[in-house]
Amino acid sequence: MSNETTSGPSVPAPSLPWPAIGVVLVLASLLLIPLGIGNAFVTHIFVTICLMAALSSAWNLVGGFAGQLSLGHATFYGIGAYTAVILVNLGITPWIGMFAGAGIAAIVGMAISYPCFRLKGPFFSLASIAFLEVFRVLTLHFSDFTGGATGKMIPLKLGWTWMVFRERWPSLLIIFGMLCAVLVVVWAVRRSRLGFYLIATRERESAAKAAGVKTVQVRLVAVAISSALCAMLGTFHAMYLTFIEPSAMFSLTFSIQIAMFALIGGLGTVSGPLLGAVLLVPLTEWARASFGASALGLHGFVYGVVLLLAVLFMPNGIIGLLQKFRRAPHHELDEDEQTTQTDSIKAPAQATTPPSPDREGIGRDVMRVQNLNKRFGGLHVTKNVNFTLREGEVLGLIGPNGAGKTTLFNMLSGFLTPNEGSVTVRGPDGGYHTPVNPADFAALGVGRTFQIVQPFAAMTVEENIMVGAFYRHHDEHDAREAARQTAWRMGLGPLLQDEARGLTIGGLKRLEVARVMAMEPRILLLDEVMAGINQTDVRRAIDLMLSIRDSGVSIIAIEHVMQAVMSLSDRVLVLAAGEVIAEGDPHEVVRDPHVIEAYLGKEFANAHR
Amino acid sequence: MTTFLQILLNGLMLGGLFAIVSIGLTLIFGIIKVVNFAHGEFLMGGMFITWLITTQMGLHPYAAVIVVVPVLFVMGALTQRLLIQPLMSARDDHIQIFATVGLSTALINLALLIFGADIANTPPHGLRAPLEFGELRLLTGQVMIFGAAIVLVIGLELFLKYTQTGRAIRAVAQNRGAAELMGINVNHIYVLTFGLGAACVGLAAVLIAPLYPTSSNIGTYFVLTAFVVVVLGGLGSIPGAFLGALIIGEVDALSGYYIGSDLREAVVFGLFLLILILRPSGLFGARQNLSHLS
Amino acid sequence: MTTRSILLGTALGLSLASGAFADVKIGSLYPFSGPLALLGEESARGLDLAVDQINAAGGLHGDRIVLERGDAVDNNQAIGEARRLISLEGVKAVFGTYSSSRVIAASQVTELAGIPYFELGAVADEVTGRGMTYLFRTNPTAENMGIAVIDMLADQIAPAAGKAPEDLKIGIIYEDSSYGTSVAGHEVAHAKERGLNVVLKSGYPANIVDMSSLVLDLKGKGVDVVLQTSYQNDTVLFLQQANEAGYKPMAIIGGGGGYSMQPTADAVGTDVIDGVYDVDFTQYAINPDFTPGIETFLDAYRAKYGEEPRSGHSLTNYVGALAVLQAIGEGEGFEPDQIVASVKAMDIPDGSTAAGYGVKFDDTNQNERARMMGMQWQDGKLLTVYPPDAAVAEIRQSE
Repeated sequence: MSNETTSGPSVPAPSLPWPAIGVVLVLASLLLIPLGIGNAFVTHIFVTICLMAALSSAWNLVGGFAGQLSLGHATFYGIGAYTAVILVNLGITPWIGMFAGAGIAAIVGMAISYPCFRLKGPFFSLASIAFLEVFRVLTLHFSDFTGGATGKMIPLKLGWTWMVFRERWPSLLIIFGMLCAVLVVVWAVRRSRLGFYLIATRERESAAKAAGVKTVQVRLVAVAISSALCAMLGTFHAMYLTFIEPSAMFSLTFSIQIAMFALIGGLGTVSGPLLGAVLLVPLTEWARASFGASALGLHGFVYGVVLLLAVLFMPNGIIGLLQKFRRAPHHELDEDEQTTQTDSIKAPAQATTPPSPDREGIGRDVMRVQNLNKRFGGLHVTKNVNFTLREGEVLGLIGPNGAGKTTLFNMLSGFLTPNEGSVTVRGPDGGYHTPVNPADFAALGVGRTFQIVQPFAAMTVEENIMVGAFYRHHDEHDAREAARQTAWRMGLGPLLQDEARGLTIGGLKRLEVARVMAMEPRILLLDEVMAGINQTDVRRAIDLMLSIRDSGVSIIAIEHVMQAVMSLSDRVLVLAAGEVIAEGDPHEVVRDPHVIEAYLGKEFANAHR
Repeated sequence: MTTFLQILLNGLMLGGLFAIVSIGLTLIFGIIKVVNFAHGEFLMGGMFITWLITTQMGLHPYAAVIVVVPVLFVMGALTQRLLIQPLMSARDDHIQIFATVGLSTALINLALLIFGADIANTPPHGLRAPLEFGELRLLTGQVMIFGAAIVLVIGLELFLKYTQTGRAIRAVAQNRGAAELMGINVNHIYVLTFGLGAACVGLAAVLIAPLYPTSSNIGTYFVLTAFVVVVLGGLGSIPGAFLGALIIGEVDALSGYYIGSDLREAVVFGLFLLILILRPSGLFGARQNLSHLS
Repeated sequence: MTTRSILLGTALGLSLASGAFADVKIGSLYPFSGPLALLGEESARGLDLAVDQINAAGGLHGDRIVLERGDAVDNNQAIGEARRLISLEGVKAVFGTYSSSRVIAASQVTELAGIPYFELGAVADEVTGRGMTYLFRTNPTAENMGIAVIDMLADQIAPAAGKAPEDLKIGIIYEDSSYGTSVAGHEVAHAKERGLNVVLKSGYPANIVDMSSLVLDLKGKGVDVVLQTSYQNDTVLFLQQANEAGYKPMAIIGGGGGYSMQPTADAVGTDVIDGVYDVDFTQYAINPDFTPGIETFLDAYRAKYGEEPRSGHSLTNYVGALAVLQAIGEGEGFEPDQIVASVKAMDIPDGSTAAGYGVKFDDTNQNERARMMGMQWQDGKLLTVYPPDAAVAEIRQSE
């Protein structure tokens, strides 16, 4: 590790041991209290806590990490229960049925989620409810298979083979083991590339795509894992209940409950759902015991009100509260302090050769753009754009507002498909490819930033950059290392552990560049990254770009800071009203009367002097 | 043939019923971009109030409109002001969904607490009297609902197009920031819109109560159907919701007769999923309303 | 026995309990909260009254019975509460449960623990016949209901209308949860046995808001007799929409639920419900000679709760509980096998309980004498018309 990393102010290590200790303590008490008391009813309550915590944790993979708020997760729990019970009646042990159910649930989960991923927020929830209802009605209808409305029972064969016991502790042991397994899976996902990709996709889908994340694929994987886990828990619960019926297995109320534990504990956190269930299940049991028999509906009313209050006053859940409490000694940084806390950008030591179209080190074509046309309705946004980009070259892209620069970038990175024309990229294998979507472009080494910054707001600076770094490093440690190095280079070292949402515009621009740099791209598309960086840092940033260029990376930069355009670009492309009106050496191009006419911009006049 | 015509007619009337329930939902959705999962419970609340007024005071159920519509307006406005507005800035819409789901749970159980598990029947006062057209029959109350739905759609459209407030509401819906710059108090407009949406469902409750048994969970059935209607008609489009409701009404009636009553829920929800997935702008929706898509 | 003597007896039992008598705990497992709470509570009152009566008469083997309530709001909870009753409270037997799925879930627990379970009100066939040693059911089942509906139609209603039963077109509609589905299944099966002509069978969800399509279907197929198994909401909806569509079948026979309740009659109007038949647990307008003890029950109910029973559930639960408790009192003791032996020896003939039917358990531990009664709405009242020895009125055939 470079000494730069240690040179920053001390930041809390990402995982102080005490939250982990807390989780272990909670888990230990979940097992030891009921075993110690040895009473069947207490054991039953703890079995319910473990079951709810595990279901909610599994739900959290989709609802929390992937941000797809499913209110129909009982579908998978029900599938697991039905598969196992049908198999048990055919004489097959639930230990096998459990995995059969998990397999079916994973497939069903992926099949029904795939078309729904384009639905955002409430519409995904509605679709998940609709699927739940359809499954329930179909289970009722195909009664030969499912037992219909009367449900299905399992024969009371005792023993570990059949997962049915006279004593209570074996069931507790099984569900406790399953809870631990689910938590380990969730924890591993959170720390892995998959977890970072899921959260990145949730926060900013387009930025995630630009970072090479196959957003649909990672969410499908999350759905598959989550559904499979829910199904296995459904199998356990079916064996525990020994009797299942459609209205209990495919229940909307139950689905909402599962999601609610996660919300109250802390969405998208590893231990949140566990805490939610540990606190809420005994609370609801108590509420039921004290009001249930006397006042019809009071218990449900309390339940709804608790949910409302939690949403209003504790939107980040119990975990959010705990974190607030932990962070209380640190005061929030205000704008000024933060600016002083950003480091300067680290310019490379050696001097670089000034730009020129015929400079030493410029190699073969890496990107060929042919005849690009894009229309939005009647609006012709780019007209017959042609150019090539060569290895190690910096191409400046300038033009007045509305010239179509960002649209062009979107086509060069796969975010828009041109109506006509093609973008060809030379891959690492030396052959030319015609990628069609952001993931393909990223795979060929095209990295981009966004004009309107797109940070993953809920992640720290370090984690933001790690999303990019994961593209090259599959291991979490390597990715973290690479991210830290990139961050220090971009002057973000002191802010590594800050949440991205707290950064200034200048900080966010740096973050944007750092994330794409961490991908180690071969072609870098920079969209106005100098805006918002102070004057001294612009100089350093230019030097940094030049050093990147010298490492063989080709750059296309949209820029309004003329100082940067002139001192960076080997060539300049001028776009006006969607057409290329001039191309060539920057100093010559800016004198071109066409360009001056098209532009008439203040900054241009300044650069002219 | 008569049977077929009668089914079509029943479907049409059912469509009017779904329309009047859905209009408030699509209004709230179109302007505030919030999906109100407690919409059905507003309906249930309105129906219970209608029942109380009709049975306690012996009035014609339609007289309850004087009380129910203002009460629901206040209920809606309070929901927006106290629950949704503090959450408008929440970083994702999870929170708003949970908020309205929580409200829905609380209201269902509150009704159970107050009115018990029994159903409440509002005296029909002649609204169940059949109107006969040859072999075909309709209920007076159904025709009233259908008429009211048409009047409500036209009235709201006129209100949104030609009044100062209506134009402000549309401005906020199209561009919140720009409307703010023009000096429109956006929060005020939101509270007003939520109130209006709830008042619409209040009107629906008064009209429906004499025809259908009221129970604490009646909202759940209606709200799921209303979501289907709103998505089918194009989100936020009031005439779209009306046409969508007619289609769902016909689908419901025809599938109930030709496929079987136990599967018609599956047919309606299946249709909903198909629309969501294949044509998310709805049958009549404009493209700009696709804020629910990524 | 008069109300006063019961009250006196209860007071006596209470005062003595602290002294010479020990307590014996019995579980009372019903849905006391959630959507089933209304009739769950009503059912539990029957058990309460039976226990009061036994205690007033000196308890069981000199021990006073103490009821421990458990709230079976859902299946998971039913299991939890059954466990609590057994392990925490140490009950000798569990009584319940009104809802079939709750008893099926909870009885799997009691069976494993070897605690006797007496079901007093759930009708699904699956409750018994699972090869359980410790589960007994005293009340009539879905099968009894299906058979009673068809028999009443073929033996009473059709002859009264001057029709041959085989000529009638029968339409069967039912809410599609466990209850409606199993009753409808038995109706179809038994109709077939008796050679009747079922032309339509259709389920629907209980929360349905429009049944006009179904009514048109029945009308279109020319159905003469509609058999509906339903809850309250769908009963009201069907009766109203059939009436409004001008559909007047020769007979409508309801299966329990909404058809037995006064609010249903109030909702649809006396003119619409008049003449409609109903098959259900024993109701209160019944020949008291056939149901000895029904007056005692009614008096005790009014004295304890200050109102009329809201449905027949309390009576059915009361009769079952009383019979079982008396049998236990005549047995050897409270060990599970002693309880089982004592109830298996029961042989109460028809016409000697407050519900009319006798109690004798068959091989599957189902009360083979349990049966449903047939009623008809006449002038706004639900009067028992079938079987003839229980009837208080003649069948009234409109036009």
